[in-house]
Amino acid sequence: MNPLIIPQPDTIPVSWGWLQFLLLLTFPLHLLAMNAMLGGLAIGIVQHMRGGCLQKQLAHRIAIALPLVIAFVVNFGVAPLLFIQVLYGQFVYSSSILMGAFWILIVPILIIAYYGAYLYDFRFTQLSSVGPWLGVLVFFLLVAIGFFFSNNMLLMSLPEQFDQYFSHKSGTWLSFGQPGFWPRFLHMLLGALAMGGVFVALLGRFRKSVNRALANHAEQVGLGCFLLFTLGNVMIGFWYLLTLPKELMMLFMGGNIGATITFGLALLLAAGALIAAYKKRFWLTFGHAVALVVAMTFLRSWLRSAYLKDVFTLDQLQVVPQYSPMIFFFVILLGGIVCLGWLLKKTSDALPLKRGRG
Amino acid sequence: MNYPIWFLPETGGGFLIALISILHVFVSHFAVGGGLYLIYAEKKGLKENSRPILDFTKKHARFFLLVTMVFGSISGVGIWFIIALVNPAATSLLIHNFVFGWAAEWVFFTVEIAAAFVYYYMFGRMDSKTHLKVGWLYFIAAWMSLFLINGIIGVMLTPGSWSETMDFWAGFFNPGFFPSLVFRTFIALMIAACYGFLSASFATDRKVRVAMTRFSAKWALLTLVVAIFSGLWYLSVLPLSSHELVMGKSPTIARILPWGAGGILSLLLLLLGAGILRPNLNLKPVASLAMVGALLIMGGFEWTREAARRPYVINEVMYSSSILKKDVNELNQKGYLRTALWVRNSEVSEDNLLEAGQELFMHQCYACHTVNGKNNDIVRATGTMSYPALVSYIRRIHEVRYFMPPFAGTELESRALAVYIAGGLQGKDVREPQPAAATAKNGATLFEENCSSCHTVEELTGSLAGVAKDEIVGMLKTLNEISEEMQPFSGSAEEHEQLAAFLSGQSDMKNQGGE
Repeated sequence: MNPLIIPQPDTIPVSWGWLQFLLLLTFPLHLLAMNAMLGGLAIGIVQHMRGGCLQKQLAHRIAIALPLVIAFVVNFGVAPLLFIQVLYGQFVYSSSILMGAFWILIVPILIIAYYGAYLYDFRFTQLSSVGPWLGVLVFFLLVAIGFFFSNNMLLMSLPEQFDQYFSHKSGTWLSFGQPGFWPRFLHMLLGALAMGGVFVALLGRFRKSVNRALANHAEQVGLGCFLLFTLGNVMIGFWYLLTLPKELMMLFMGGNIGATITFGLALLLAAGALIAAYKKRFWLTFGHAVALVVAMTFLRSWLRSAYLKDVFTLDQLQVVPQYSPMIFFFVILLGGIVCLGWLLKKTSDALPLKRGRG
Repeated sequence: MNYPIWFLPETGGGFLIALISILHVFVSHFAVGGGLYLIYAEKKGLKENSRPILDFTKKHARFFLLVTMVFGSISGVGIWFIIALVNPAATSLLIHNFVFGWAAEWVFFTVEIAAAFVYYYMFGRMDSKTHLKVGWLYFIAAWMSLFLINGIIGVMLTPGSWSETMDFWAGFFNPGFFPSLVFRTFIALMIAACYGFLSASFATDRKVRVAMTRFSAKWALLTLVVAIFSGLWYLSVLPLSSHELVMGKSPTIARILPWGAGGILSLLLLLLGAGILRPNLNLKPVASLAMVGALLIMGGFEWTREAARRPYVINEVMYSSSILKKDVNELNQKGYLRTALWVRNSEVSEDNLLEAGQELFMHQCYACHTVNGKNNDIVRATGTMSYPALVSYIRRIHEVRYFMPPFAGTELESRALAVYIAGGLQGKDVREPQPAAATAKNGATLFEENCSSCHTVEELTGSLAGVAKDEIVGMLKTLNEISEEMQPFSGSAEEHEQLAAFLSGQSDMKNQGGE
């Protein structure tokens, strides 16, 4: 067997734990926004196609929200992609190049999908029956991006695949043929559809004071979708677990105490979310579902470390300490949160929605 | 050498970077300056109590949102993607060293997005004082993004002491930081005004069109003038080598500068003529031409900034070939392929020169050269060189052409590269020339080995027509006085004679033929 080809990593300015913390802090934000985008759009399209007044109204609300959500999916994706490059750059740069031809396609695909989303929003009425089909196109473009991301994130964990480079120098190697790819991808996709339901219900909540019927409809549809897709996703999740190499699977079955506890917690959260959705308790479902996504990102992180543990552990990264830029970042982050809070407050003050409160 | 090479021989990664980044910077600078433009356009509408101007501003805000949020932000991510694919080593170094600079920039990007949405969607739905404050928040966040990115990418051209210490703050506040910041700020305002100029040409209300055309043209003219002066300031702080490249030593820059200058001139004329003197003339094609002028200015600047770093991708630290400057000597000793990852031919011998040469080409030349492509095609660039000429040239490449990185590797590896280019790509004879131990080489061989990398026979014989052989011998001894890029010919006295005879002989032949 040829020795593995793994580049030398660059040095990091602070202990890896800080960077891992920031990765785990920001990645769930991206995932939640991505779920809202993909799942919300799918539900919107179905509502639009079904017709009916409330359905169309709901589809329109989703279409209006879609470009904003896409903006935040991209934005919230920047930070984890940054931190993952710092922690696992030697793997992720290599895997990106191995699939470079597809990886760079993400950029034009996203631009087209994004403009499509704006068109769907701004011309919702004029597009008439073409509208949902435009939505379908945008949906599949976004799924294609997710497919490429799944390929890369799996490939970066499989350095034994890196010698495929020699027969794919133009960047055409994908990892969807590797064991575990499809359940992994479908788990993410179904998770997005389920969380999209929660997002749709949330959108309805925002309109409750001005359109109660729409809010009720959104909640019913949203929670129903969440219930259905989460049930399906539990099955997919177990399929995914079973496709993992035994050593990795055992990580969640007592092999690693932290991973096992988090896995158990995730199962409890999933059960709690399902029960809450069944009982139509929105905020309870919302809380459980968000916590479940956070727990899943932790599990994902454990899995990546386990995939790579024979060739690399994060403590091998050499630190050339310089902490002042990190402090600077935290100050900026705090200021940024204050600014976002101010924007939210001023917007909410100006919107008529507030009148219905209290 | 640490990362795989994404090999698209006819396209070249450099072309993809240029394509995405020039378009991105044109939009991203608009995203910065456009914030301020919107604030002042709205203020003008409020001050003059003009509903049409406020409507124009809202419409422009929508155009702004569609251009900057979609194309601007996604192409920004696109630059990150493409540089990581084409030059992962440099990207990794900058990402690792400046991770918290990038992270802080991300915070401002988030605020920028949120403020842009609130500004557009709440236009006319929130009190104007608060609405203007949202505009200011957008502009400040966008400018802070510029501030941070300017510090990080500025280090690639003017690294200062960072190249030694790798200290975050020394790198961030590099010698080019402030001139570049001022320059980019005013370019951003200028571009934003050009977009305003374009928007104005679409206005159906004649009064609004005239008012906003003048308003935009004044902005653009004033900021363009300041940008020109700050550009000169920026030029003055460049390291000597980069300064010389900009001032004419880089053929790439020499090619692009007239386009940039043309952009400045055409924009000045259009803004003066169809903006201030006769704003009625601001029709859609005129405004589009102004946009082309602005794009030429921005493109010219970015192209120059990129080329002024040569032969480095990060000045004084990493060559365009992704090889660290500090590693070159060691690679010359140990051999490049033996040290590099992602190669099949770690050992080079007489049996695998072609295959090893191809890998060396990919790792050391492909960053700038395509194979049979449009951009800097290696086949065309070396078309006149024979195998011995290439062998000699590759060893001296950085001395002959400063803007090209030195070849890093052993003697045998340089031969392997020459075998690939001359034999594999050009189909030329790559047998080793007979050792010239006993006799001096003849003039044609000497020309091949020493001159053909930069000159053709016709070019030299033409310029030396009528010059006596002895005089040519004298010139060969003082070539450095003719051009700094040349060194005095180092052959023996007999070889001086041979080469001079070859050159003058050719001249004579040519003269005779001409008669």
